[in-house]
Order: sequence, then structure tokens, then C-alpha cells
Amino acid sequence: MSRFLIALVTLMTLSGCVSLNSVSLTQVPNDRNNLISSTAHDWLFLGFTSQNDFVEEAVNGLKDQCKGGKLTGILTKHQTTAYVLVFKREIIASGYCNKA
Amino acid sequence: MYKITLYGILLLMTACARLDHVQISDIDQSQGSLKPISVKVSEFAIELAVIADVGSRLATNHNTQNSLKEIRDILALMNMGPRTGNPVFNDNYAENVLEQLYVQCPSGKITGLRSTREATTYGAVSGEIVRLNAFCII
Repeated sequence: MSRFLIALVTLMTLSGCVSLNSVSLTQVPNDRNNLISSTAHDWLFLGFTSQNDFVEEAVNGLKDQCKGGKLTGILTKHQTTAYVLVFKREIIASGYCNKA
Repeated sequence: MYKITLYGILLLMTACARLDHVQISDIDQSQGSLKPISVKVSEFAIELAVIADVGSRLATNHNTQNSLKEIRDILALMNMGPRTGNPVFNDNYAENVLEQLYVQCPSGKITGLRSTREATTYGAVSGEIVRLNAFCII
């Protein structure tokens, strides 16, 4: 019985359900050779948090990979993965870096 | 009184940030150095159906309980349907954000605009927030 319970709890913990909160895309350039991406996330217990600052981490990640260039065609995904009592919020951003 | 204090503490402890929507626009670092700028507008919002529900639970008189439950149901029906966050009483609160952003950027060259729809919630009460972060090319 206890083995069954452990297996059930493990399965429930590992099987996170993802929900997509928002998606956006900006103008896509002709030159699409240099695709870069950046992600940022934070973990919530029972959904409680007092800040959304992790969004800026994704932006800074994109900026750092395209210094002196122009970043266009940015696809931004905001998603939440729900585990048991714990939630992972993620920002996944990618775009094309063009350095003239 | 004990119940009210308990509910009050519980509501204050559950102050929570909510993130609904994030959009990142093109970032141009080829025209000069970037200065971060930001505008945030917030509007008071309240879920009246939840307030009526709490009221019905706290009421000691049976008739008052029933009346508050009926009010709760009517309010819930009035506000049903797809929505983001709690209802606000002023739907124009985010109209001037672009002007406010340009005030912070005398060159007028704005890049890397991030539009965020978020909220700070205190139980049935919340601050519904629209935030614009961007970079000003200087």
C-alpha cells in the first residue's frame, strides 16, 4: 500500500500541467540566421508571490546576447506549470539578432 | 469580532502578485546607449460577490445571511464571463501610459517596450496594474 502511495505521489509531482498564459510576436525580419533565446522563471508555493520581477531577467538575457545589434521577431511566451502545491512561472523569449 | 479580526488578518496575509500578460517588443541597441524607463498605472478593483459571501458567513441573523447570499448570487451573475482580474470602476485608467512614457524620454526614441498586465491582490480587493517598461535611446 505504501509503495503504491509513494508511486502515486511521485507521479503526481512529476506530471506538471502547463498552461499558456500569453503569447506575442513582433515583426519578423528577412534575415533570420541568428536566432537567440532567453528564459526566466520563478517558483511559487501555493501560488503566493509578491513580485513579477523575473520578467526582466528574460529581457536582459536577450539584450546581453545582441549587444550593439537589433533584435526583432521576438516571440514571447508566458506559461505556468502546475505541480502539486507548487507552480513554476516562465517567460520564454526568442528573437533574431541582426548586427549591421 | 474575533471572526472579523481573523478574516482581516487572513486577507492581509494573502497579498499576492498576479501576472496575466507579458509582451516584449523589438530591442534596438544599434543607435546608442539605452536608459531604462517605466510607467505603472493601477486601479482599485473589488470582487463584490466575495465580499457579500464573507458577509453572509459572518452574519449571525439567519435572514441577513439569506439576503447576503442572494446579493452574492446576483453580483456573481452580473460579473460572469471571461475577464482578466477583478472588475474596476474606471476602464480608462490605462489610456495615457504612452504619453507618460514619452515624458521620460526626451529623445522620443523608445525601444524594447515591455507591456505587462499584472495585479496585487488582497483577497477580494486588488490593484489592477498596467506596467510599461522600456528603454530610451539617448
